[in-house]
Amino acid sequence: MSSTPPDYAAFFRSMLGEWEKATNSMGGQTLKSEEFVRMLGGATAATSHAQEAFRGVMERALAAANMPSRAEIEDISARLARIEGALFRMEAKLAELAPAATEKPAPAGPTRNRKPPETPEG
Amino acid sequence: MNAPAPDPFLAAQAEFERALRRNIKGLEYLASPAPVLGASAKDVLVERGTMRLYRYRPRVDDVYRVPLLLVMATTNRGYIFDMVPGQSLVEYLLDHGFDVFMLDWAPPRADERRLTLESYVLDFLPSAVARVQEETGEPDVSVVGYCFGGVLSLLWAALEGNGPLANLVTFTTPVDFSRMEMFQAWADRRFFDVDRLVDTFGNCPGDYLYTAFDMLRPGTRAVTGARLYDQLHDDEFVKSFRMFDRWASDILPLAGEYFRQTTKLLMWENRLLAGTLEVGGRRVDLRRITAPFLHVAAQHDHIVPTEASAPLIGMIGSADKEEVVLKGGHVSLVAGGNAVKRLWPKLVHWLGVRST
Repeated sequence: MSSTPPDYAAFFRSMLGEWEKATNSMGGQTLKSEEFVRMLGGATAATSHAQEAFRGVMERALAAANMPSRAEIEDISARLARIEGALFRMEAKLAELAPAATEKPAPAGPTRNRKPPETPEG
Repeated sequence: MNAPAPDPFLAAQAEFERALRRNIKGLEYLASPAPVLGASAKDVLVERGTMRLYRYRPRVDDVYRVPLLLVMATTNRGYIFDMVPGQSLVEYLLDHGFDVFMLDWAPPRADERRLTLESYVLDFLPSAVARVQEETGEPDVSVVGYCFGGVLSLLWAALEGNGPLANLVTFTTPVDFSRMEMFQAWADRRFFDVDRLVDTFGNCPGDYLYTAFDMLRPGTRAVTGARLYDQLHDDEFVKSFRMFDRWASDILPLAGEYFRQTTKLLMWENRLLAGTLEVGGRRVDLRRITAPFLHVAAQHDHIVPTEASAPLIGMIGSADKEEVVLKGGHVSLVAGGNAVKRLWPKLVHWLGVRST
């Protein structure tokens, strides 16, 4: 009788794969259970609450240091976006009014006459 | 006939050498930089807030008449379509004669928290299509949407697609959100206060979404390190691991109002399936999509299970429509070694005969 020595590395890989499958399956059931989802909802609410509280403290600290708050920076960013949008619209309007001046020469790109091969390409 | 039993001494020696290589490679792994992803030559045509539109430089002299626009999911980076040379869908499409554009997303800025589903479907997507038309001089465009990029493409196609839309392809695109069981459970309206989350954070944080994606397979994260260590001697495995790990952890935040809308309208009320979804005050009816249509689902998709996308093909109005379910998961369907053999040739053939 021939005795094949055990391949521990292969055994380890196989065990790892099986463990992963089992954990994904069992863990998945747990993670979608009502108890877990309730806990998750609670954690999200707590994070939101902490964020709100921290924001209040930061806003006061920034105001005391005579620095802009996040909300003020966001407002400036939104105004810049509106200015950017207006510039974009003006550029488009100018291009419409003076097409000859802004018309780009046809790009020297590839031709567009390709036909599909008789047999599917791989 | 029995094969001779392997010499235990040789087997131990092979295992020892592998362990030695693994340790040397482990040091290399720690010392080497991450691979450069998404490096195919391209021009940025639009950079407007969260919106990015790229045109990839053609690699052949003669391309198909109809240009191709890839639409990325809003949660992830578009370089999944352009990992590294030899493993890039973009490169594959370019080499097979397509003029390729991509609508990709940057993290929405804090002031973009008010972007809505309407912003994506009735502004970003049609703007991208119009720019592709302008760049190529062609009246019609093929659109290929991945995951939620597929949902956006469907909504746009149903509302405004008839005309500029030549072909529509969606990958792993859900329409029955009640079948995304894990996300359904976590978004349970009794416990998940989406209003509070959005009102507090503005945009839905990327970390929050990353954790949700990670929890879909709670065992996988735990074995990842062990599997990497075991395979450190294999350069191809390590390269692939680094690419996919980087992409999977590069999750984008979602614009707040858009996240609120999609949670309520799709996850809670499943309106796309019910046919009651309205975007910009207009009812979305997928039967209005009449362009040739292909949907590709992944057999082992843990993010969008096949049941979540199964009703899609029946909802589309096109006479020329097809659904295929390929082996693979949500990501391996579109990128990696198996995608090169399965999805990419299918896509190139299906589009090729419809792109002249």
